[in-house]
Amino acid sequence: MPSESNQALIERWKDEPAPLLPLLHAFHNRDGYLSDDAIKAVSEGLRIPLAELFGTVTFYHHFSREAPGKAAPRVCTGNICCLHGGDELLESLKDKGATPMPCAGRCDDMIPVIIGDKAYVGLAKDSLEHRATPVPAPNPGGSSECLFAHIREEGRNTLPGYRATGGYSALEKTLKDSTPEALIELITDSKLAGRGGAGFPTGVKWKAVADAPGDPKAIVCNADEGEPGCFKDRAIMDHDPFAVIEGMTLASFATGAPLGFIYLRYEYPETERLLEDAIEDARASGLIGENILGSGHTFHLYVRRGAGAYICGEEGSLLNSLEGKHPFPRNKPPFPVTHGYNDKPTAVNNVETLASVPHIVENGAEWYRDLGEGDHAGTKLISLSGDIQRPGNYEVPIGLPLSTLLYEWAGGPKEGRTVQAVTMAGLSGGFIAGEDLDITLDEPSIRSKGSFLGAGGIMVFDDSRDMVKAAHDAMNFFAHESCGKCFPCRIGTQRMTERLGGEANTLEPSAWIAEIEDIGSTMMSTSACGLGMAAPHVTKSLMKYFPEQVEAFLAKG
Amino acid sequence: MTEHRSDLAEQKLSTLTLDGELVEFTKGETIYEIANRHRKEVPTLCYDERLEAFGACRLCVVEVEGIRNPVASCTTAATDGMVIKTSTEAIEKHRKTLLELVASENRNVDVNALSGYSSQEMTILVDRYSARTGRFSGKQSGTSNTGDKNPFILRDYDNCISCYRCVRVCAEREGDYAINVMNRGFHTQIITEFNNDLRDSNCTFCGQCVQTCPTGALGDKKALRDADTEGEIKKTRTICPYCGVGCSVDMLSKGDKIVGIQPAMDGPANEGALCIKGQYAFDFIQNDDRLAKPLVRREDGELHECEWDEALDRAAEGFKKVKDQYGRHAVYGIASGRAPHEAAYTMQKYIRATYGTNYIDNCSRS
Repeated sequence: MPSESNQALIERWKDEPAPLLPLLHAFHNRDGYLSDDAIKAVSEGLRIPLAELFGTVTFYHHFSREAPGKAAPRVCTGNICCLHGGDELLESLKDKGATPMPCAGRCDDMIPVIIGDKAYVGLAKDSLEHRATPVPAPNPGGSSECLFAHIREEGRNTLPGYRATGGYSALEKTLKDSTPEALIELITDSKLAGRGGAGFPTGVKWKAVADAPGDPKAIVCNADEGEPGCFKDRAIMDHDPFAVIEGMTLASFATGAPLGFIYLRYEYPETERLLEDAIEDARASGLIGENILGSGHTFHLYVRRGAGAYICGEEGSLLNSLEGKHPFPRNKPPFPVTHGYNDKPTAVNNVETLASVPHIVENGAEWYRDLGEGDHAGTKLISLSGDIQRPGNYEVPIGLPLSTLLYEWAGGPKEGRTVQAVTMAGLSGGFIAGEDLDITLDEPSIRSKGSFLGAGGIMVFDDSRDMVKAAHDAMNFFAHESCGKCFPCRIGTQRMTERLGGEANTLEPSAWIAEIEDIGSTMMSTSACGLGMAAPHVTKSLMKYFPEQVEAFLAKG
Repeated sequence: MTEHRSDLAEQKLSTLTLDGELVEFTKGETIYEIANRHRKEVPTLCYDERLEAFGACRLCVVEVEGIRNPVASCTTAATDGMVIKTSTEAIEKHRKTLLELVASENRNVDVNALSGYSSQEMTILVDRYSARTGRFSGKQSGTSNTGDKNPFILRDYDNCISCYRCVRVCAEREGDYAINVMNRGFHTQIITEFNNDLRDSNCTFCGQCVQTCPTGALGDKKALRDADTEGEIKKTRTICPYCGVGCSVDMLSKGDKIVGIQPAMDGPANEGALCIKGQYAFDFIQNDDRLAKPLVRREDGELHECEWDEALDRAAEGFKKVKDQYGRHAVYGIASGRAPHEAAYTMQKYIRATYGTNYIDNCSRS
């Protein structure tokens, strides 16, 4: 089949909402890389200044500028994959043009390798296999679940299967009998809060969007699951995609938004097709689009695929990315609830948050609140990985003791080993170790130790691991993903990485420590977004829990 | 009408506490603007009052009561009742650390003042905060593109601190969008499309990027020819003669030599903008090829040097002949844009008063 012309690709996308990313992907798919010619054509087609577009293209890790480009293997060298030999696998694939990629969100499996639009996993180059996202194991604690309540049921990710297991009754019920105000009240009452990590009350956010002037409003599902050690959103989208779509449709009804996007990370290519198909099936059944189920409510939903940038999980960057701008974070205020997509009121919610909504509508606010332990409301998905017997996604009641999850649910560390440290919030929360491991999985408990639960990624490091190296790998990730806008993060992550990598060991230990502390303090206090504010958790916790390892590292000179 | 008045009254009543002092402000003002008005000397590196506040350098952070982290004062709008501290011990420590970090990524802290209007900003701040400590040493950011063959703009990115003032002034003020940012994090780099030379881009060589650069990473190549010339830099305010816009400029000289031109940031017509001619086209003034004496064409058909009296007599004779024969409107004066303003004035006076015609123009007008 002859490949499509530049003009044909531009014509197909230029009048669509948020056209830049899909158009760039169309060229990237066609040619395998983004040639000068392609960038010029897109610049003209979408009327974006050429220098600006060129700069934006180079921002994204996965857009190749030359052959073999997209066809070359990208090997995960995230923290957990490095424990499993990610660097060696990368080396063995170098003759095929392999390049490293940051955590690709498959830490519960073997090392992921993305080739074209397929994600393989394996430990050696000859044994890579293409296989589906693991279904979460049955809840080991026997506790009541929300998100995973139906996810293991056969066919749940098809529309008939979803409906057969209770899907879409929440939307039907709401459109028939309820009002946007009542829905917002229900969600507020449930105490559902942002599960991407920020923990902002979902009902309050929706009300702010509903009340804000400006049209068209939008719902954006943040599926840019880029936090290392987090792979929960992929499990939801792959095995329960309609819960996300139904949740978004309910959010659109609550806020009066006729437009929605799922901003999906590049590293989940199979998920993109699955979501596209699911949306198409929902549209064909009148569950999305114009006049949903005869209610008069309209909601158009689009999938937009990112191109490899952790910062695009930050809502301001995400919105800039959707709008085709350079994906720097935005200055706040104003917040997206008043100035979001195209400066219109926008609710940006995480996959997990949105997928919880149909269950809450179905079972009630009180039911959801009661899922948590004690005074804590609801559940949280935890992506557990690293040196642990049974890595995977677990839906825990908020407030569950960490030790219960680690030892009773996930089988504890590998034979003969002990847990040396765990990370919190993927990497952003730094490490927790020693007596502080005696925490419960809720923000107040974890914050009292100077960390936070965030998106719920927990990596386990056993007593055989070098924690300075773990901290270096973590900081290296933040340096790689720093957008380059604000000074403290742009320079700070670099200097921290150099120091943790032994490039400044000529300093006196006291000077080394003072530099790390001063950079960390200034980054935490003055960075423009969460990336720079959170990254010093890594060094702070390293020094707090492992001063003797730091000392030994510095003594090596 | 009454309602409108009460609105105004309310607006005027907006107050906040700035370093312990109650001050008034207008809705929409940022904390930085208010602090600046009250001479708080809040440091900045990414700020240029002509541009949208960007919030990159974080030097302007201030403490606001009730907000956990310091806020960037340049991007934060003031609200009624805010309690702001612009210079606490913690804030000053962060500023020093930030300046030490920035100094650590560059090849030089000191650059020649002929580099550009803002070129000393970083140096001055680094010294104000005693930040020449050599701390945080490590890799340098930015790759200089000194091979760019253009004769006007030095692109010495080893001294770039990624404040993007150049990118923003090019887009927001000049509308050229010639430059942008490549890559991210510590590897950001200012580039044109496809990382080519400026002359292959949309650049019009207006020089605004050079003049807003706070580190001299972008430098005025023409002025820097005289970097080693003896003498203090003297600035003389004048108006660019090239066209009718009337851009204010500061002519830079060392001794008797004109060495460069900088736009006046307070020029009412240009607010710091210039074009390639106003910015860079001044070499003719002190060029060796200039005529030092008048020339007249003699009977041999060749031009010969002569004294002013002879030249003026010849010119007057010619003009007089034309006027007598064809009338006063047969003379049309066109002054040169390269002539000084005083000469242009004298020229129009001469044409109007001498011949009684308004046929007078300037080459830069059309």
